[in-house]
Amino acid sequence: MDPEKAQQLAAELEVEMMADMYNRMTNACHRKCVPPHYKEAELSKGEAVCLDRCVAKYLDLHERLGRKLTELSVQDEEMMRKNAIGQ
Amino acid sequence: MATTVNSGNIPVSNTQSSTSADPRYEGSTFQYSMLLEHLIGEKRPIKDLNPTVMGGLPNPMKTDDQKMIERGMESCAFKAVLACVGGFVLGGAFGVFTAGIDTNVGFDPKDPMRTPTAREVLKDMGQRGMSYAKNFAVIGAMFSCTECIIESHRGKSDWKNAVYSGCVTGGAIGFRGELTTSSGAKAGVLGCGGFAAFSAAIEYYLR
Repeated sequence: MDPEKAQQLAAELEVEMMADMYNRMTNACHRKCVPPHYKEAELSKGEAVCLDRCVAKYLDLHERLGRKLTELSVQDEEMMRKNAIGQ
Repeated sequence: MATTVNSGNIPVSNTQSSTSADPRYEGSTFQYSMLLEHLIGEKRPIKDLNPTVMGGLPNPMKTDDQKMIERGMESCAFKAVLACVGGFVLGGAFGVFTAGIDTNVGFDPKDPMRTPTAREVLKDMGQRGMSYAKNFAVIGAMFSCTECIIESHRGKSDWKNAVYSGCVTGGAIGFRGELTTSSGAKAGVLGCGGFAAFSAAIEYYLR
């Protein structure tokens, strides 16, 4: 598949991927960092610090897993190509 | 990832995206890794990430100045300074008030019936006020600073932060008293326990 098609497909999927990642990240970090005691509207210092750390970890994880997935997928394609040539 | 190869010579790709059923891509090799590179890896387009694009509520962007000011106001140093100033004012008021009700000023052993002059009274009030003010300021700044540091470290905001920082502050005060008067480490422990209990009571009342 040529890079142009890959780019087009990626552009279509990107918006959806970003929105999905944002939603999941917001849900996860809210569940972990903001206990359900709503006595005041502002984020306290501890919660703000926790949210910073949560977002940083989530994005780091996202990138690492993406890289690992790309690696695995490349290996898999190599194997498939070898099988296809071998036949 | 499972590979499925037709009995014919056209390799059908393995893919876990929903486009595998898309009629445009059937019969051609679909390279997931290339797609991933455009989505997550090296070749992804540079976008500015803001919540408007990603599905949050649209928000006017904060300017850099505003962000810096907000970060300064949330910082531990600012809170410590605030507590210091507040403690100073409160301590001054408390000291002046206490000097007013404590009638120990200007006592002359040779003439116990002499009423103290106004200047003596004012001087005493000023001294006591200043001394109380300085003590309260230091205690307030220390408590606020340690509480902010502990809260930043733990990443949670509950009553335990106040108790821990009360112990640290009380322990520091007791320990300092112990250094100057050598009354043993008991003063430090006692200060820690007492101040922690006091902080716990205040937190219970406030929450």
